[in-house]
This record gives sequence, C-alpha cells and structure tokens, in this order.
Amino acid sequence: MTHDAATIVSEDVNEKLRIIYINGRLDIQGTDAIGTKFTILAATEARRLVVDLSGVAFLASIGIRSLVSNAKAQQQRGGRMVLFVGDNAPVAKVLKTTGIDTVLPTFTDMAEARGKALA
Amino acid sequence: MAGSAAELSIKADASEVRRASAWLEATAMRHRVPAEQMHRLDLCLNEALANIITHGGPSARASPVRLVFQTLRGPGSAQAEVMVSDGGVAFDPLEYKQKPGPRTLSEAEPGDLGLVMMHGFADDLSYRFSEGRNQLTFRVLWTEPE
Repeated sequence: MTHDAATIVSEDVNEKLRIIYINGRLDIQGTDAIGTKFTILAATEARRLVVDLSGVAFLASIGIRSLVSNAKAQQQRGGRMVLFVGDNAPVAKVLKTTGIDTVLPTFTDMAEARGKALA
Repeated sequence: MAGSAAELSIKADASEVRRASAWLEATAMRHRVPAEQMHRLDLCLNEALANIITHGGPSARASPVRLVFQTLRGPGSAQAEVMVSDGGVAFDPLEYKQKPGPRTLSEAEPGDLGLVMMHGFADDLSYRFSEGRNQLTFRVLWTEPE
C-alpha cells in the first residue's frame, strides 16, 4: 500500500482517442486533488477515453463517483469512457463489487480497451 | 483465542482520513494481517469515516472519532476488526437494503456506494448505539497454517 498523492496525466493518441493515466490513492484527499483536472480532461469535449487505473493503489467510493459523473458527462457530449485496470486486482474487485464494471466497460487488456473506446 | 489491540483518536475531518489509513496499515502489518485483508479493512474504514464526515452532523465534529483495532488468533484461523466510534447522528448501516445495480450508465446513481462497499468487503459488520455514540465494527477473516 502506498500513501503517495494522486496524480493524473493524459496522452492524446489521435484526434479522437485520449488516454488518462491516474495513479496513487483515490480516497477523499486524492480524488479531491485530481478532481478538477480529471473533469477538464474527461468531460469538457466529446472524446473517446480510456481511463488507465492500473496505477491506482486504492479506490474508495468517492473515486468511483468521480469516474461515473465524468463518464456520464462524456456520454452526454456524445463520447465514451472505458476503464483499463491491467493486473490491478484490488481495483478490479472494487469495480466488480459495486457493479460499476457493468455500466463502465472495464478491461485488463489495453488494446481491447482502446478498441471498445473507439467502437 | 489470543488477542491484541491498538487505538487511535482522530477528528471527524477529511484531512484525518489518510492519517487513519496510515495508522491502520502500520498496525495491521505489525499484527501480521495479510495484505488482502488489510486492504479490505482500509476500504471499510475509509467508507465509515466518509459517512461520519458527510452525514454525522455537528455532533460528529464536536468529539473525537475513536478507532480500535483488534486481532484474534486461534488454531488455523484469525480475524482482525476495527471498531469506529463517533458522536454523530445515529445511523445503523446494517439497516441498509441493497438495491439492484444500475443496468446502464444513465441509471447509475452512486449515492450508496460506500455502504455497498462496506457490506461487500467486510466478512462481518456489527453496529450498536451506546451512550450517544455510534459503534460500527467491521471484521475480516483468514486462515493461517497451524
């Protein structure tokens, strides 16, 4: 377990596809720290998004709420958000336990995540 | 069964949640709690504290939140629990009835996620209201070689 601050960076793969990399703890403090930048990257223009959670050390409900609210906003703009968890079993378990993986497509393979985002 | 315990008092404030997690991690490691069970306790602790901070009201902020960590070990089995005691509005999370999950993103209303997570990640939850304080205990279990 790490108590490092949460960080967020992005990569525009092309005009449509953006990958957002989130690392650290998405607890109250971490979600608050990245919240504004996450919304700017994820919800201010129509995009196909892969949110990479493979480096997230801890995902609390407040972090899930942030994912869902930004995914909804992106959907309303005509875009789409999918999640990539890689081999991050604890984060995958949180998404499954809360049922969020049924409404936010979640992938362990980045190529599949990109494909679904662009489909 | 043999047991041991540790305690921490914090303020009902978002700035204290990470300190509580760090204390839990250090304490659980000292008591040889496996990583997966430690993570589940941390998830429950975060959600319990978030509920107190968000819904506990002025009375929650007026007195310390007390955390008590305890382990019990017997032949082949072990358990760790955290009791969270706060002076906020009485709230029994065991009365929460889980609703069917959303089928679409548009339907997703993640208001009760914290309670879903506590019920999903604790092996056992117990609650009582005593002397004006909520006392919520979440417990995780595991097997150990004899």
